[in-house]
Amino acid sequence: MADPVLRLRDLRVRYGDKPPVLDVLALDVAAGEIVCLIGPSGAGKTTLLRLANGYVDGECGELEVLGRAVRFGPGGDANRRDRALRRRVGFVFQSFNVIERASVFDNVLWGSLGRQDGIGTLLGRFPEADRQLAMDAIAEVDLVAQASQRADTLSGGQQQRVGVARVIVQKPDLVLADEPVSSLDPVLAAEIIELMVEVARRHGNTLVMSVHLPALAQRFADRVVGLREGKVVWDGAAAALDEAAIAAIYGAEAPPPPPPVPEATP
Amino acid sequence: MSTPPPATPRGSAHTPPEQSLGITLRRTSGVVTFAVIVAWAWHGTGFELSRLAGSLAPLAEFLGRMSPPDMSTLDVAMKATAETLQMAVLGTFLAVVLSIPPALLAAANLTPTWIHQPVRWALALLRGIPLLLLALMFVAALGLGPVPGVLAIAVHSIGMLAKFYADAFESARQGPVEALDSAGANWLQRVRFGILTQVAPDLARDTLFRFELNLRESLVLGLVGAGGIGFYIQLYIRSFQYQRVATLTLVILVIVVLVEQGSVAIRRRLR
Repeated sequence: MADPVLRLRDLRVRYGDKPPVLDVLALDVAAGEIVCLIGPSGAGKTTLLRLANGYVDGECGELEVLGRAVRFGPGGDANRRDRALRRRVGFVFQSFNVIERASVFDNVLWGSLGRQDGIGTLLGRFPEADRQLAMDAIAEVDLVAQASQRADTLSGGQQQRVGVARVIVQKPDLVLADEPVSSLDPVLAAEIIELMVEVARRHGNTLVMSVHLPALAQRFADRVVGLREGKVVWDGAAAALDEAAIAAIYGAEAPPPPPPVPEATP
Repeated sequence: MSTPPPATPRGSAHTPPEQSLGITLRRTSGVVTFAVIVAWAWHGTGFELSRLAGSLAPLAEFLGRMSPPDMSTLDVAMKATAETLQMAVLGTFLAVVLSIPPALLAAANLTPTWIHQPVRWALALLRGIPLLLLALMFVAALGLGPVPGVLAIAVHSIGMLAKFYADAFESARQGPVEALDSAGANWLQRVRFGILTQVAPDLARDTLFRFELNLRESLVLGLVGAGGIGFYIQLYIRSFQYQRVATLTLVILVIVVLVEQGSVAIRRRLR
């Protein structure tokens, strides 16, 4: 296997003196994999993603993102990411995080900020190539008709499409997504996940995302990682994720979320 | 489960919250405290309604001396008002430019506590300096005329404007800024695209509001020789030319009302 895109070893994250929210012995994600994280709320899915994106520091252990290794613990490093690394890791948010007063086009175009340096950018001038890239990304998520609309005029599903297009323009190697569809209805959720997976495959990105419905993971991921109380309790091919596995991940106290995912509309 | 309570019309299973004596007392004491403070101020200023009634006649006489307004001063009034407006515009403009750096430093979501807290204190201190004192200082340093007035307005405005701007920056939603950070945006880009885009209407509203204040406050700057229509007002008052004062007052009224109406209309449209 080539060098993993994401690699965790003996990694523990803890807030205050509470029990660790994340406690992973070993987890590797290879280039090009589509991985879904599932598990009950509080299992550590968000913490794992935020750790990988550098928003959270580990208490101890090793983290490697796109070949950049960080060691936590006494005498270790803080999880500071420089601009070069931030540019290579895209993030799709649960709450979309579009800039509401800006147009769809600007929101998507600003995904390229990691590549811009000049003063001209601050005055709103972007390279023609990036403007073209933004328009192509908007077409890819099917929002051409809305390109010049303000982002706050869009529905939730459309706003998340903007979030996906923004990451396309960023041209990252690794895309992380934290519950990207948990505030959308099941049909829309399946549409967006399908879009994200398609986009990742087309652009050759590795995609690691948490989803709230195991059925979404089953249907769209290559590989599913089940987390429970901060630990990896299941890790395997999405096709192997059966009722028993889901029950083991979610436990008896929290039944697996029931709503079945309807087939996507043609 | 216990047996359900009998369904009598009066007997309900749900007890309303208690009417605590403590809360009643606390509310009453608030009103009492307020009354005591007003009484203290009333007594301290020697405010008497009977004296007020006796003042009506002299007041009417004073107003009588002002009418009819002497329209021959209209051109002086217009010129002086234009100068006042110019002072307010330039003073506000300088204040905007000078407020942005301290505002960025004073925003809790942009700088660590050891930076934004002292900057906020400094801005509060600046707000504490009276405009007239600043004007006197600049007149002493630069001589009579509108220039010291402009500087006094600018410096005086920074204390408020930078604080308002900083509050606006802090009100920006952090999520979109985080998204740009994730895309690799640097600090300046996050401020420009993430924060300024979100709060631009707030900044414009704050600025217009400050301009209205500056226009009204700059009227008095002429009293200390710092230019504008205030200079002529005190000139005519000292030489007892009250009919001319009336003309100036009317022109001021018209300008202030016009500017305020325009400003309110613009502010309402910002979103």
